[in-house]
Amino acid sequence: MKKHFSARAKWLIAIAVLLAMGITVFHAVSSRRPGQTVVQTILAPFRSAGSTLVRQVERYYDYVFQYESLQAENKALREQIMAMEEDVRSADSLQRENERLHQLLGLVEEHRDYHPTSAYIISWNGSNWKSAFTIDKGTSSGIEEGMVAITEYSQVVGLVTEAGPNWATVTTVLDSVLGISASVASSGYTGKVEGALATGSEGLLRMNYLPTDSVLRNNDQVLTTGSTVYPRGLIIGYITDAGFDETGVAKYALLRPAADLDNLEQVFIITHYENN
Amino acid sequence: MLSHLHITARQWKTGLKWTLYAALFLLTMVFQTVILAKHPILGLKLNPVPLLIVCVCVREGPEGGGLFALLASLFWCLSGADYGNLSVAILPAGAILSAVLCRAVLTMRFFPTFLCCLAVSLLHDSVIYALKLLLAAGRPSYYTETILPSVLLSMILMPPVYLLVKAVHKTGGSYDL
Repeated sequence: MKKHFSARAKWLIAIAVLLAMGITVFHAVSSRRPGQTVVQTILAPFRSAGSTLVRQVERYYDYVFQYESLQAENKALREQIMAMEEDVRSADSLQRENERLHQLLGLVEEHRDYHPTSAYIISWNGSNWKSAFTIDKGTSSGIEEGMVAITEYSQVVGLVTEAGPNWATVTTVLDSVLGISASVASSGYTGKVEGALATGSEGLLRMNYLPTDSVLRNNDQVLTTGSTVYPRGLIIGYITDAGFDETGVAKYALLRPAADLDNLEQVFIITHYENN
Repeated sequence: MLSHLHITARQWKTGLKWTLYAALFLLTMVFQTVILAKHPILGLKLNPVPLLIVCVCVREGPEGGGLFALLASLFWCLSGADYGNLSVAILPAGAILSAVLCRAVLTMRFFPTFLCCLAVSLLHDSVIYALKLLLAAGRPSYYTETILPSVLLSMILMPPVYLLVKAVHKTGGSYDL
């Protein structure tokens, strides 16, 4: 076994350990890994192409499914449907985009101080420890770290935590690293909403530091209270459960996120807003 | 043409082989982050990257394969992988040890490679879990509920990864030209 374990192999292991230590120290000091922007920038077109391909396949699959039911329903329309095949496929995606932009228009009219930039999701974080995704726009489109990602319905999706020229990473509200000042819309109780990833309530949010005597009801809407990062009045989620925390002096509530994170395709990044 | 470029047929084949390995790695990364991470199976995100790194290292040996493992892990870390800095140390070390073990004690066939991949993936995720636990960012049962099933379920990707690596290895295969 010793003859297979050459000096060069030992050197490689030593270099790997030293590199890991170096990256850890650099990451701790600058909150970014050396060369990360370069690698992410190189990867972004590949991810974008992959995600476009997947979207096309999904659309085609949806189309085929719809087409089969139509065929069973009315055979006489088959030829007409075949002729419109291409139109339907593209119209389907355009309609979805139109609906999102229509909703966004309403949002922008309601909040004239918002300056949203739309972006498509090109990849998701592969770890079971983190809930984050990469979008196809970055600093060249005015997106920077600390900007909020929302849906067209004013639902909070997450926060931009890293940004490069043509990509940005959005950490979702489900991730336990984010903390958002929030209030219960119906009663005004305030607290801090955090992701419950890896804490036993996966897929949910946890609103901490609620008053002991607070009365919480299921499906109560929870909104952002407004801060330098999060604009006021964005929807975070809906209460599904409540109880006393480990200390017994405060209450907590579990929330279902308002945004449907599993089926997100497009998000809107608020690049600027008036902080009233 | 090759002689005009001062490249021997052997160097050409070797270059082609490593280019294909790099392309396979890139494809695996994109597959993981674009498809597997968006569509978890049974609520678990599968991780084929360690499998590919170990397979290549076992096939190419502790030196050439080890260098590939180091560079691939570094690229994986810099692409924004969660706790990627740990991967830079664990994956090359695990892959090199697997390659040495397969050459000295086991064989380079499917089952020994499968066991090595399982061991390295388990070690990789366990170390991250231990660190999370140490930082009080995780709960003990998360290991049995998510981490262990995720590693085991990731092994369903082992046969295609193994066959692809074997096919790429053959492109550089015999140098008797």
